[in-house]
Parts: sequence; structure tokens; C-alpha cells
Amino acid sequence: MIERYHPFRHQFPQSGSKELQIFSILAQSFFQPFSLKDNLLVILTALTAGSGLGFNRAMLFLVDGNELKGEFWLGPASAEEAASLWQILSNHEIGYSEIIDYNRRLLMDENNPLVQKIRQMSFPLYAAEPSLPALAASSREIIHVKDAFNEPLVDRQFLEIINVDEFLCIPLLSLDEIFGEIILDNAITRQPIKVQDIELASLCGLAAGNYIYVTRLQQRVMEMKKQAALGEMAMFVTHQLRNPLVIIGGFVDQLLSSDIDEKRKMRNLKIIKEEILRLEQIMDRLTRFFRIEIKEKVPVNLMEIFKITMDNIKPFIKSKKIIIESEIEPGLVYVLSDPVYLGEALRNLVENSLEALQDKGVIRLRAFRENNDWIVISVEDNGQGIPEALKERIFEAFTSTKEKGLGLGLAYVKRFMEANGGHIKVESQEGEGTIIKLYFKAR
Amino acid sequence: MKKKKRILIVEDEKNLCLLYREELEKEGYKVIAVTNAQKALDLIKKSHFDLIITDIRMPVKDGLELIEDIMGIRKDIPVIINTAYQSYRHDFMTWAAEAYLIKSASLDELKAKIKELIG
Repeated sequence: MIERYHPFRHQFPQSGSKELQIFSILAQSFFQPFSLKDNLLVILTALTAGSGLGFNRAMLFLVDGNELKGEFWLGPASAEEAASLWQILSNHEIGYSEIIDYNRRLLMDENNPLVQKIRQMSFPLYAAEPSLPALAASSREIIHVKDAFNEPLVDRQFLEIINVDEFLCIPLLSLDEIFGEIILDNAITRQPIKVQDIELASLCGLAAGNYIYVTRLQQRVMEMKKQAALGEMAMFVTHQLRNPLVIIGGFVDQLLSSDIDEKRKMRNLKIIKEEILRLEQIMDRLTRFFRIEIKEKVPVNLMEIFKITMDNIKPFIKSKKIIIESEIEPGLVYVLSDPVYLGEALRNLVENSLEALQDKGVIRLRAFRENNDWIVISVEDNGQGIPEALKERIFEAFTSTKEKGLGLGLAYVKRFMEANGGHIKVESQEGEGTIIKLYFKAR
Repeated sequence: MKKKKRILIVEDEKNLCLLYREELEKEGYKVIAVTNAQKALDLIKKSHFDLIITDIRMPVKDGLELIEDIMGIRKDIPVIINTAYQSYRHDFMTWAAEAYLIKSASLDELKAKIKELIG
């Protein structure tokens, strides 16, 4: 017998120690679809949730250049507020997104005294004699402050704001970077900070540091991927533009030479004009590709758009052995989309099909309900299919195997479908044919 | 009269084929231009060429595969890569081509390279 559990839980564990609960939250924050700051807020919530175990209040400072800057201050401003907050957070039904919602509302509140105070605070990290709180981050040490009002290392302005005689400073670090610092205290219950609390908080600090580190790394990788894609694109565009330019330049040179006859002159001018038109076309297609934006979706009549698509392609069908037909599920009248973009997308797909057929076969346009949520428009052909090696790359822009074309066709359709709130699927068997399915939301 | 040197051009752009053919014929070469690598291979198997000029990115079979195939048939034919892509240049040393040229509106560099290789 086996039992299966989903690794990411939406609810916090209802049993187990406070330690287990905190670690559950920390571990989950890696997998949540929320922003870095939202997730850090949840970690602070975990450290402060509950009256008897955690801390009462938590402050988060993040490093900004050479400074430690105040970001959040979480916790009740008074004993009365504490009672109601802990009541909410001790509810077992409460999950990750509820806490994020709660925290967002808390921080949006302009009147929240803790938020107002923390945002004004910043401390130089690399001062000659750093004071607390900056000292903990710059020295990469956990610092437990007792009898703060008599401790000269504590910054006086900071002490005035936090107004508590005992607190704990936890730096957020990776091996080679300082990201920030968490300050924890028990201002409401006045309970002394125990050794176990320090151990737990320092582990949370390590995990949060790791979490920030990984998130920043991910952002850098994404940025690099984007740069690489951009480089690939620039290379392709350059190539596409260079050929016409070389041709124009070469034939202009011939025109400039003295030994050219009239017939040649005319031929060269014709070629030059052709190439200039091609340059214009390339620019047009690139512009259109980068500008897909659907402002408003309207009902697009399926029968009409199929008819337009078929009428447009017919002049290009040279063989009598190529049949193009359409089929719409009874009762299905329209999809919600932009008729211009959709028309363009279908034209692209039908042209691809026509090319795949060579000189005989069937192209079929179909519209049907896949289920209650999705309506599908499919373009099918029984042509040569997409080679296995190419399948992964067919949606990438600027990948083309054709004699002509920018390799924008399928990339364009995909961008359009995403802008339309749907998606695209490809089923293809080499030698048997291809089905491209466009998914539109049914409502 | 001295026999003309034979050049095979592999280039998928028809107008470029025409331009190169005319310009190189002026220089006294016999030029044959084809638009894909498969056609080029068929020709190389059948007849003699003194030089091959090829693009890299082409439909059906790209220029790099072509060079590999040529090596399998006639190792001694010099090859010039003539392309719009700058970025392949750094890998070029590992390929068995004699020169790597970036397509340019001026054909002087190409002509000079051909002269250097086959006279």
C-alpha cells in the first residue's frame, strides 16, 4: 500500500510544535507564487504568531546600497490589538494566502503607527563604529540586547522608536552577501527572550537568508535568459536585413559602372525595388509581432472567420488535389477574441498547412467545445508533419526552416493566444500530419 | 587559352546568386550557383570545382553540414563561408573552411580572398 501527499500545503500544520509550524511556513515560502516581500512578511508573521511561544513583534530591514533600510514592522501596537491579532492567527483554518491578504491590508493602512515609524529608519552599514541594529548585519552576528537603555551600542533614535529594553537582532545572510536584518522583541507580554527562542529565530534567519539568495539568483537567471533571447533576436534580424542590403549595394555598384547596358540597368533597378519592398515587409512583420495587444475581446463569428480564412488561401492553392474544408460544432457560434488578430493567426496556420501538404491532402478548420471551460479552434492537415527534432522550438520566434519567412508565424500565433487569455497546443506525427489547437475561454 | 577556374556558390537567395555569378564571371571565373546544399552535393559528386562559397543558414541542409559532407567526398576543395552571421565566426577555426567572410555590399573582400586561394 502507498499513501500520497502533496508536498506544498495550503494550510499550516494543525498539530506539532511551534518549531514545526514555523519550519513548515519557511519551507513553503520557496514554492509560493507571491513576491519576495510578501513571503518575507509571512516569515515574520510566523515568528510573531501566537502569544505564548513566538515573539510579539518583528521588524524587517533590507540592505539598500550601503544602508540598512526599514521595510516592515509587524505586530500589535498595543495589548488590546495583540489579543485580536493573535486570535485571528491562531485560527487553524487560516492559510498562506489569508495571511498575505491580512498583512497587505495591515501595511496599506496609512494610520498603522508601526509602518509609519519603520519606513523612516535607515542606518549606515559600514560606519567606523556601527551601532545597533546595523552592527548585527555588518558583523554577521546574532546579537541579543538586554537592558537596552543602558547599552551604549544601541542607536538612541532606534531605541526611542522600538522603546523596549530587550530585543534580538538576526542578520539575513548568504555566504557572501548581507541582505538585511530581523529585529524581534516581546514588547507586549514582556517575557524574557529565552535561549530556545534565539535558536529558533537564528534558524529562521538562515532560512530566510537562503530564500532571499535563491530568489535573487532566479531573478538574475531570468534576466540572463531574456538577454540571450534578445541577442538571438538581434542576430536574426541583422541577418534578415543584411541580405537585401547586400543585394541592393551590389546591383547599385553595377549601375554605377560605365559598361552597363540599358537592359541590365532596368533589370537591376527592378531587383533593387524588390529588395526594398522586402525590407519594408520585414519591418512591418517585426512591428506587428512586437505590438500584439488585445484591448477588448468581442464575439467573433466562427462561420464568418472560417469563410474569410478559406477565401484568402484559395488563390494560393495550386493543386486540385488539395481540399480545404471547415466544420463547426452545432450550437457553437462565436469565440471571444480580436477578429483582426484571430484572422491573421488562422491565415498563418493555414499557410503552414498548405506548405506541409506539398501537392495533395486535406486542410480542415474545426471549432468545437473541448469541455465546459474551453472552446477549441483547430487547424489540421495530413501533410508531412513536424520533425521530432524541431517540435520543441517551433514556437520560438526567429526559428525558421523555410526558404522565406522570419520564423515569426507560430511565435506570433502563440503570443496572440496568450494575449487572448488562452493557449495553443500542437499534435504532430512526422509523415502523418499536424493539428494545431487554439484554446479560447468559453466564458 | 588557360582553362577557367570553376567556383560553386551555395546561396538560398536567388538575387544574391545572380549578383555573385555576374561579378565573379567578370573576374574571369566560371561560376555555378545553386540555392541549396543538396543540389551542391550532387554537383560536387559529378564534376570538378576549384572553390566552394557557401552560406551557413539555409533550408534543407545548412552550410556546416554541407562542409562536413564535402570533406567526405573531396577533401582538397577550398571552402569560403560567406554569411550574414557574425556570431559563428569564433567557432570557425574548428571547421574545415579556409575563410569566414561576413556578407557585404562591397564584393572586394570576397574577390580578394578568392584570388588568394585559387589565383
